[in-house]
Amino acid sequence: MRYFLISLLFLLAGCASYQQRNNFEIQETLDKVVTNVYFSDAALDYVYKANVAVYDKSFGGLFIVKKIAEEHHRIVFTTEMGAKIFDFSFINDQFKVNYILEEMDKKILLNILEKDFRVLVREKETAISKSIKDNSELFETEIVNKKYYYLFNEGMLNSITRANKTKEKVVFLFSEINNDTAKNIQILHNNIKLTINLKSI
Amino acid sequence: MRKIIYLLLFIVSSIHAQTKMTNAEALLLKEKVKSQAAKTNTITSDFVQYKHLDFLSNDIVTSGNLAFKSPDLVKWQYVKPFEYSVIFKNENLYINDEGKKSDVNLSSSKLFKQLNKLLVNSVKGDMFDKNEFDIVYFKQATISEVHFTPINKKISKYIKAFHIQFNTKGDVVEIKMIEPSDDYTRIVFSNRIINNPLSDAVFSH
Repeated sequence: MRYFLISLLFLLAGCASYQQRNNFEIQETLDKVVTNVYFSDAALDYVYKANVAVYDKSFGGLFIVKKIAEEHHRIVFTTEMGAKIFDFSFINDQFKVNYILEEMDKKILLNILEKDFRVLVREKETAISKSIKDNSELFETEIVNKKYYYLFNEGMLNSITRANKTKEKVVFLFSEINNDTAKNIQILHNNIKLTINLKSI
Repeated sequence: MRKIIYLLLFIVSSIHAQTKMTNAEALLLKEKVKSQAAKTNTITSDFVQYKHLDFLSNDIVTSGNLAFKSPDLVKWQYVKPFEYSVIFKNENLYINDEGKKSDVNLSSSKLFKQLNKLLVNSVKGDMFDKNEFDIVYFKQATISEVHFTPINKKISKYIKAFHIQFNTKGDVVEIKMIEPSDDYTRIVFSNRIINNPLSDAVFSH
């Protein structure tokens, strides 16, 4: 009986929402728009030195983001020596591959990159709920049928987490924030061995 | 209106103030570069790289230095705004990415070997292979510029053309690698020193 209770407890804990698992108190349901300002200035060229670790391999390059117009971003990855590896456009909800190195042109990889980068450059998203803990606010959003949680500390976007009912799948961490630019960005995947580190140059 | 068009035409033509070389001039340049390349055992040089992507407001500028030792050792090192070096040695690339070392073996990829060879040859400027390129020669003031367009479709998928500029001595002063999309990487050399002794240790990983 005791085991039954314990496993029931685990089961219940497992069913708790992402907010509850992180001790956030859900406040209200609202139609607030959350903003990710980190790629929002069309006058700027966002250039990062990138390091991608995938399984036991790691490679570097330059990760370049440009806001072309409202809800229109271009993302290009090149080697340090300038050779293009991929070149994507996000226009509204559309995703366009302008170029990808033949060796990398794999549906499964493209799906992951599309999902990651769509969230990374998405400027505005309507929140479904808001919850709070101390000085932090957590906004629940839904982007292409997946739940994303935007964490703001003292008004600054610190992370975006994709999570389902039981697990965190992907975490975007923003740090060294200066003038609406995140000098350091990490994209960490929990379900596959893929980590992308970006350092502003 | 017509005046504006003339003016525009004039501006465009003055930017491209380069004319095609005669066959004799082209032959002379080719011989000069080839003989210079044959005499070259080592090269050290600084460089500034401009990555041009059409949609960016500014080119991405990186800089560093280069070392070459005959016949085919090349070390390409970025110093600013990050430290990164790659050594082309035998059929391997040895990478040092801000202290993190790795290597890539190219022996299984014919294409990468070809691209690698192109890079080594372009450093010396000696790419005058009619079987591999359509070659067009231009002159402007004291600079000669040669456009190499790869014939091999597998190569031209990556690089539409190399534009190499030579000074009067036949040394490479600038390389421009143009992608099929017309975005390009332009590398400008300075402090180029030829045949200074260069230890093998420079190329150790």
